[in-house]
Amino acid sequence: MKDKNPAKTVMADEGSKAGAPARQEHTPTEVAQKPVEEPAPPAGIERRFRQTDLPAHFIERRRHPRIRREQPPVPASPRFEDYGSIIGTPELDEIRFLARHLRGKTVKMVNSTAVGGGVAEILNRLIPLMNELEIATRWDVITGGNDFFEVTKGFHNALHGGEYNLTQQIMDIFMAYSEQNRKRMEFNEDLIVIHDPQPVGLVRSRSPEHGKWMWRCHIDLSNPHPRVWKFLQPLVEQYDATIFSAPSFTRQLASPQYLFYPSIDPLSEKNKELPEEYINKVCDDFGIDRSRPVITQISRFDRLKDPVGVVEAYKLVKKYVDCQLVLAGGGATDDPEGAVVLQEVMEAAGDDPDIIILNLPPWSALEINALQRASTVIVQKSLREGFGLTVTEGLWKEKPVVAGAVGGITSQIVHKLTGVLVHSVEGCAYQIRYLLTHPEFATQLGKNGKAHAKENFLITVSLKRWLVLFQILLGMAKPNAIL
Amino acid sequence: MAAAPQLPTIHSQWARAPFYFNSASHLLRIGREKAATLMELLEAIRSCPESSIFQHTFQTLAEHHFISGGFSNDFSHWAFASCNEVELAERLAAIDVREFTSIAALRERLIHIIESYLQKNPRAATRAAMEPFYLMASDLVVIPTPYLARNLEEFAEGLRKVSIHAIYYHFIDARLRLKLNTNDFSVWLEKELDLSQAAEKVNRIDIYTSTLEGVRREILKVVEAEMDRK
Repeated sequence: MKDKNPAKTVMADEGSKAGAPARQEHTPTEVAQKPVEEPAPPAGIERRFRQTDLPAHFIERRRHPRIRREQPPVPASPRFEDYGSIIGTPELDEIRFLARHLRGKTVKMVNSTAVGGGVAEILNRLIPLMNELEIATRWDVITGGNDFFEVTKGFHNALHGGEYNLTQQIMDIFMAYSEQNRKRMEFNEDLIVIHDPQPVGLVRSRSPEHGKWMWRCHIDLSNPHPRVWKFLQPLVEQYDATIFSAPSFTRQLASPQYLFYPSIDPLSEKNKELPEEYINKVCDDFGIDRSRPVITQISRFDRLKDPVGVVEAYKLVKKYVDCQLVLAGGGATDDPEGAVVLQEVMEAAGDDPDIIILNLPPWSALEINALQRASTVIVQKSLREGFGLTVTEGLWKEKPVVAGAVGGITSQIVHKLTGVLVHSVEGCAYQIRYLLTHPEFATQLGKNGKAHAKENFLITVSLKRWLVLFQILLGMAKPNAIL
Repeated sequence: MAAAPQLPTIHSQWARAPFYFNSASHLLRIGREKAATLMELLEAIRSCPESSIFQHTFQTLAEHHFISGGFSNDFSHWAFASCNEVELAERLAAIDVREFTSIAALRERLIHIIESYLQKNPRAATRAAMEPFYLMASDLVVIPTPYLARNLEEFAEGLRKVSIHAIYYHFIDARLRLKLNTNDFSVWLEKELDLSQAAEKVNRIDIYTSTLEGVRREILKVVEAEMDRK
């Protein structure tokens, strides 16, 4: 068995002084800061446009958008107090109070990768905040060979309902690596949080005398492959609590199940406030005309995100309202299927110069932020979705969001109050038209959406939830009693 | 001529006991019951724990505190958005949680409204909803804040400074704790400062046509008017 992930263990805030902890990247730093070895996508997607009245510079930029070719340096993480400008001092104080109660307690978080993917991104933000609040939090990453990660990838698809041939050999590989990791790691912490199915077997190290174990499942278990779930369920049942991203993602389990929405960081490159000049510059780089409405979908070129459906909806809108469509995402360079989907999108777009297709490299967080802020309406017309972080990003930017009524999106959008849910191309088109022609309603949706995101989907909310859960599990807080 | 000594103004009158501002944080627990039709919802409401009824009526007001005039409880919203039963949604939306001092009574009201609607509209009972309703509950943890008030000035200052969760805790959640049709703020104003009219005005603030920030502003208006009056 060859290790794919070298052992990575970082003790967070080791050596930092109380009250002034040193800011560190708490991902295994040396891994997280390596440049992503992914080639930049082609500078532009060559398309032929029909005759148009658009000024030539727009057409030129749409043919040859200015895309950043090199990964910029990783910015420093924000400090806890920086969030005060967003959530207010009383809220910061409440989180500090909760954290003070947990001083002296230790936490371990375990997942399967230190870099790439949403879980690593969340941990990279969450763990420094916990340490800054003086809750010693350690992040461990399991190791495994290619055979293990092939098995866990198969499990991932099977748990989403895909076909899978579960053999004894597969189960043996999974358990062998679980045991190997279990023996390599120590679990002396008071609170152990295991993320997703790959490390779920570590729970066999749980001791009844010490430590509370939580399983944070980031994936949708509503329709799992029955045999794969039957294999994993006895392990999941051993946890003291499980945490899911939406009520519909859960299974019937004996232990309490909690709902934690995935969060975004309002101070990250993707979500922080941007100067208007920068937004204008990005629009200029991509040939976007800010004098006309902009409809935007940000997502990988993936059929489940239905980019072709978005093009069809835009065409229906365009009959009534002069507007532009921006489809921006990645995945068309490293993923063969992504390239095929991109081709399909280009064919659907045809020679319409007002459809702007951008295949962006993974370091385009600032550009995506600017695109979302320049949008009049944000669309996420997914056909299947776990929890659409791009939906939350749109809500946070006070934009009216039109999204497919699937998966976790139904928790993110309260229909007609914090956004609009749709079930078809026609419905999507109608709602976009309505929003473009009723700006007061669009503005109100945007305001409500931002408040909804602030209340439920920010990293500070997630941090607070963890702190409350830790206290409940440790018996330090009794529900409905004053701490 | 020496200035006459200033008499203490009435509005800085000390309360008999201080008001301690608390806040609350809640965790959502996913329950076992879910409903795909109105009949299933009715059954779930009959059998679910009280904490679930509390979650979908009282607690949801805190979660959607930024929305005014369109959101009253989760059952109503589901009847409207997922079942397209507008009349039922309106009736459920008309429930005012402030009238209830026990979850049992609130549960009975919900059951009565849904039962009578389904008697009149039997075909609606088993029609599949667009999205299922998942019953949840919440574990509420009460967090003390550094703010306390010994008079109206300090009370106003505390009201301005605490988080919106504190307003929810004292103004809405309090009703069930007190088992009375009132709230922590009104109780303190009346009991500790003898300000029964102000207490009554605060208690009349409509949580269904205002956001929680709006409620905060309204309470402050009452308190500031009382300070000016004195």
